[in-house]
Amino acid sequence: MRKNKTNIHNITRGYDILLKGEAAKRISDYECHNYCISPDDFRWMTPQLLVEEGDTVQVGTPLFADSNNAKIVVVAPVGGEIKSIVRGEKRRIESIVIAGNGQKEAEIALPENFDKENVKDLLLRSGLWTCIRQRPFSVIANPDDTPKAIFVSCFDTTPLAPDLNFILKDKKEEFHKGTELLKLLAPVTLCMRQNADNSIFEGIEGVEKHYFSGPHPAGNVGTQIHKINPINKGEIVWFVNPQDVVTIGKLALYGKLSFEKTIALTGPCVKEPHYFKMTYGADISGLISNSLDTTPTVRVISGNVLTGKHLADHPSVRFYDSQITVIAEGGEREFIGWLLPGLKKWSFSHTFLAFLTKKHKYNFDTTLHGEARNFVMTDIYEKVFPFDIIPLELLKACLIKDVKKMEDLGIYEVEDEDFALCEVVCPAKTECQKIIREGLFTVKNS
Amino acid sequence: MNFLEKWSDKLSGYFEKGKPLHPFQAFFNAADTFFLTPKTITRTGSHIRDAVDMKRIMITVMIALVPALLFGLWNIGYQHFRSIGETATLWQSFWYGFLKWLPLVIVVYVSGLTVEVAFAQHRGHNVAEGFFVTGFILPLILPPDIPLWIVAVATVFAVLFGKEVFGGTGYNFLNPALLARAFIFFAYPSTISGNSVWIAEAGDAVTGATPLGIINSQSVSQMPSVMDMFVGTVPGCIGETSKIAILIGAAILLVTQVASWKIMFTTIIGGYLTAALLNYAGFGGSFAVPAYEHLLMGGFLFGAVFMATDPVTATHTQTGKYIYGFLIGVLAMVIRIAGQGYVEGIMLSILLMNIFAPLIDYCVVRANIRRRKKRMATSGKVRI
Repeated sequence: MRKNKTNIHNITRGYDILLKGEAAKRISDYECHNYCISPDDFRWMTPQLLVEEGDTVQVGTPLFADSNNAKIVVVAPVGGEIKSIVRGEKRRIESIVIAGNGQKEAEIALPENFDKENVKDLLLRSGLWTCIRQRPFSVIANPDDTPKAIFVSCFDTTPLAPDLNFILKDKKEEFHKGTELLKLLAPVTLCMRQNADNSIFEGIEGVEKHYFSGPHPAGNVGTQIHKINPINKGEIVWFVNPQDVVTIGKLALYGKLSFEKTIALTGPCVKEPHYFKMTYGADISGLISNSLDTTPTVRVISGNVLTGKHLADHPSVRFYDSQITVIAEGGEREFIGWLLPGLKKWSFSHTFLAFLTKKHKYNFDTTLHGEARNFVMTDIYEKVFPFDIIPLELLKACLIKDVKKMEDLGIYEVEDEDFALCEVVCPAKTECQKIIREGLFTVKNS
Repeated sequence: MNFLEKWSDKLSGYFEKGKPLHPFQAFFNAADTFFLTPKTITRTGSHIRDAVDMKRIMITVMIALVPALLFGLWNIGYQHFRSIGETATLWQSFWYGFLKWLPLVIVVYVSGLTVEVAFAQHRGHNVAEGFFVTGFILPLILPPDIPLWIVAVATVFAVLFGKEVFGGTGYNFLNPALLARAFIFFAYPSTISGNSVWIAEAGDAVTGATPLGIINSQSVSQMPSVMDMFVGTVPGCIGETSKIAILIGAAILLVTQVASWKIMFTTIIGGYLTAALLNYAGFGGSFAVPAYEHLLMGGFLFGAVFMATDPVTATHTQTGKYIYGFLIGVLAMVIRIAGQGYVEGIMLSILLMNIFAPLIDYCVVRANIRRRKKRMATSGKVRI
């Protein structure tokens, strides 16, 4: 399909947060002994454990299944022995630790030719079905559903996001094959950056292509779905990360199951931020201790600073992330900070004089900068929220758990990550993402 | 500021739950975060946050009010000395005005903050910053000689019944400063209306009437020049007279994006168009005043810039802000020009639109919902 007016979208309401510590374009290998797999990576999944401590597993051995749908399994990304199963409160499974034996790949028998049913079967069998998530709710897709489209966002606009063009530069064939497979399940829509080198993603027949320009959240799949094919009540859209499309493509091309990924190690506290090749679940504590500057306390985040997860005890990159961000822990107190000119403070608002200076990259830390208050500034969310949805009203509906109102106001079209920028810029320090997540939870269980 | 931090850490121990000073925790927290930014870090959601907080927003509004305040202080003195037929230096006039304003602002803050802190403590909240702006604005929309006890009663009434009973800053639906003024206006009309209250300790060398008062009493020969009204050397409420100072404040609010330009501009446009229309209809009296002069009289501009734009009591939807602002402008001029007995209309029109803001929001939200339902219907057709 050629570019025309209907498939070019310009996002105007948004913001690119400029953070120091972008990953340099070079890849190192990272090896480690332990691998931690956490059921928390998969939203709202209740895991049904299929292995015990001391079991030996191969790549592709199911570790746990979704108790609501036993066909969906999460498999071991490496071969080795189950070292421990870490449990939290009420015996909730926090993570499964595998002591690796070096096996990183497994052969999977492929069907002779692909059709809808055997693609589903292959993905479920190999454990790669977990790569496919659905909107609304961002949970793993149900193989029995019929989605109206599958979306793949071929660029990432989050702060310090990995450059997918770089990561996938030798994976064109795999990406194309993966997309061919997805096409058998539902119509595929590829969303690309306008005026960028999209050679990896171009040239696939029979898929819809759309081009986006503008600041974050232009690269969020939620924004793209909203602009192209918004979700109404009862409709489902699936979405897959480009790196996972490659993993699927690799399986379909060579019959090899491998959970190797390229991860960007980024952030202002990292000595030489660049890319690492590692297998999903790899314990990154060694990587972190080797690549940090001598900053006193840092926060290691799987994912980006907007939506990532704070990694504490068993640091491993989450299943859907391809980025680690390390920022300093904040909490320094400043004398009458609210009154000073603020020449070096980052703010989306123009209340600090720094907005007059040239745009430059900032060393962010985790300071909250203020205390929580009631909603007061009523027009700030819209400036960073490119949806035809009234963010404040939707948040209020979520707070009062009014399902009908939430549906009316478009809860099915959003995800907590879509509210991340609202949360960042909010002067009242409202926890928008948490409110939306809880709202979605209410809707799902109603 | 290490010693301050240590001191704060040490003191905070006494205010914890179960400790003797716990009843004053809200007060301590307010004082503590006044001097030192809080040390909280992000726990959920985004790991980084904007440096802006409510304190910064409120101080920005207060900075925007400073030009109007400074001019107002000088003007109190200037009008006083002019009315007793004396000339005074700039400094003398300013000092005279300052001494008139100081008791007002102290009374407002002490009475208002007492209620505010007491409620915060009772609810276990922190003290919200909203009142700092309310307390700063309120003296600016009062005449200089108003009895202090009336100010105290009005402030307590506004904070208590305008804000705290609804849940505090963010939940109020009426602008608290205007509510206090309206309270005085209806309860003690002689202290805030008429032609004799606008000049402090007035003599009789010149008329004490505001430009609007002059029009209302049909003695147009005493009208000050357009330039006087623009610069602000006329009698009136402390902060409302100088249009230059208000425009500087408006520029600060717009550049910092603290106030909504949508409300500010639509209010002025609504006011101008209405005044022009009524002027065109032409019944004499205040109808005869050209529309642009109406914008320079009374508190219209001050209200449009500083009070209509209060984000809590205005409409919360973006489309709603255009409607809200426009109607404030229209109503203000209708009340002012066509309303018998009400010399100025901006206070009542803002309060009235405060009450209608949720209705406007409701309509805008319904339109959004309808759009989504329509889309769903068409999408369903395509699928079949």
